Amino acid sequence: MEPWNIGAESIIYRLEQWGRIILLKHRPQKPYLLKDIDEFLRTSRTSRECKMLTVARNLGVPTPMVYWIDVHNHSIAMECLQGKQLKQLVAELAADRLQKITREFGKLIGLLHRGGMVHGDPTTSNVIVNPRGNIWLVDFGLAEMNATVEMKGVDLHLMRRAFETTHWDFEAILWSAALDGYRTIHAEETEQVLSRVEEIRERGRYH
Amino acid sequence: MSIICLGIEGTAHSFGAGVVSSDGHVLSNIWDMFSPEEGGIHPREASRHHSDIGPSVIRNAMEEASINNKDIDLVAFSRGPGLGPCLRTTATIARTLSLRLDVPLIGVNHCVAHIEIGCLESGFKDPVTVYVSGGNTQIIAYAGKRYRTFGETLDIAIGNMLDTFGREVGMRFPAGPQIEREASNATNYHQLPYSVKGMDLSYSGMLTAANRLVSEGVSLADACFSVQETAFGMLAEIAERAIAHTKKKELLLTGGVARNNRLTDILSGVAKRHNAAFHRVTPPLAGDQGAMIAWTGILQHEAGDRLSVADSSILPKWRTDEQDIVWRRS
Repeated sequence: MEPWNIGAESIIYRLEQWGRIILLKHRPQKPYLLKDIDEFLRTSRTSRECKMLTVARNLGVPTPMVYWIDVHNHSIAMECLQGKQLKQLVAELAADRLQKITREFGKLIGLLHRGGMVHGDPTTSNVIVNPRGNIWLVDFGLAEMNATVEMKGVDLHLMRRAFETTHWDFEAILWSAALDGYRTIHAEETEQVLSRVEEIRERGRYH
Repeated sequence: MSIICLGIEGTAHSFGAGVVSSDGHVLSNIWDMFSPEEGGIHPREASRHHSDIGPSVIRNAMEEASINNKDIDLVAFSRGPGLGPCLRTTATIARTLSLRLDVPLIGVNHCVAHIEIGCLESGFKDPVTVYVSGGNTQIIAYAGKRYRTFGETLDIAIGNMLDTFGREVGMRFPAGPQIEREASNATNYHQLPYSVKGMDLSYSGMLTAANRLVSEGVSLADACFSVQETAFGMLAEIAERAIAHTKKKELLLTGGVARNNRLTDILSGVAKRHNAAFHRVTPPLAGDQGAMIAWTGILQHEAGDRLSVADSSILPKWRTDEQDIVWRRS
């Protein structure tokens, strides 16, 4: 089977079953890692992703439906969404539409955070947008529950950095739209999380 | 005609002077690392080390390159980021030389210099760079006129983590090479906290747990092995995310920790999986040294960058992505 996409930790195949297209996400072995670590990551991330896709949906966040999971083979079969990654759309969307979609992205992250969950990798690659402007979050392999202010701060820090590194010309628009959306859902904690974001940005470097 | 640049590096524990010509030849590269008998690096003691040995390091670099004062066309110095006292000492030496020799002064970003010297050595045009040292853990790539930090540590740098662990078990600074030697005698892996967040990672939890392993009686070799495998595995993952994300076809490993052979093996495996070329910067150019500052100074000078002494204040928190990379097209 030809891979449809080779990501950092997974290979995605498209297959047809029951008259529909299904995505099979497989976490292959990485021979350059210590076997113990590799096996632990592939197993825990596969089962975590499967669980978190459902938890997120229960929090009101659209995610692809899971058809089956095969932890032993480190694979998940899920719905193939009809849309594009937000990453591919940023440069071509009209400003007001881009703002609207990014505000929605912020809202979805707000819904996760309000429910005590962090996404773990909230980049524009992990947001799928369909032609009608509906959006989904995907790739929950790094998601975690029992989120603290620190974890939420890291999540927003990662989102902001994705805007900075990948969409530098739109960074300010994207960040402020995402925060607008986030604030409408998770208002009581927004300021606290944001001040943590500033703190996190300064860590890990010489002072 | 080729011009000659004297580059001076002194952001942290090492002071270095390098002489490089504009056709890309490293004519000399001398450095001296401050290594206290015990404990870590105190910024003030390190800066005293720099002012004590600075003049002789520069003299040696000039002698080895067979040049004298009048051959120097340019003085470049590490303007940041780094430890304030060390940067100030280095900047003072550079300003004095620039005025005394009456040649232009160039302020160089230390992290950018690590990338540029790696590109010079490897011939890479547009790599994803894994920059790992005592004070830095960054995944950097060029995008939109800047070197942008795609991933980094959320708490302590990898070298700092290795040194702190080493100190705990009685090793001298820098501990990395001793940890690597010990790890080769290991028989068992002990699981340690593995913390990757998107393209960032965190080492503090792993460090605490590693110290606990030793105090619980795990052999030093096994503890060192477990630390290396876990820490490097995390680094490999974020490097891999950056490659998958940027789709770049070159992976460059640089910084003092690039000397580690196990890390090199792991990252070359990552590059292979993504059909990317891999290069580990050779030991003399991997750590903090003056040649990288000199070479980057030449690139900046050729692009018309100038710095007056009056404006040459140090930048201890200078981020990698705060400088327009004027010498790069595309």
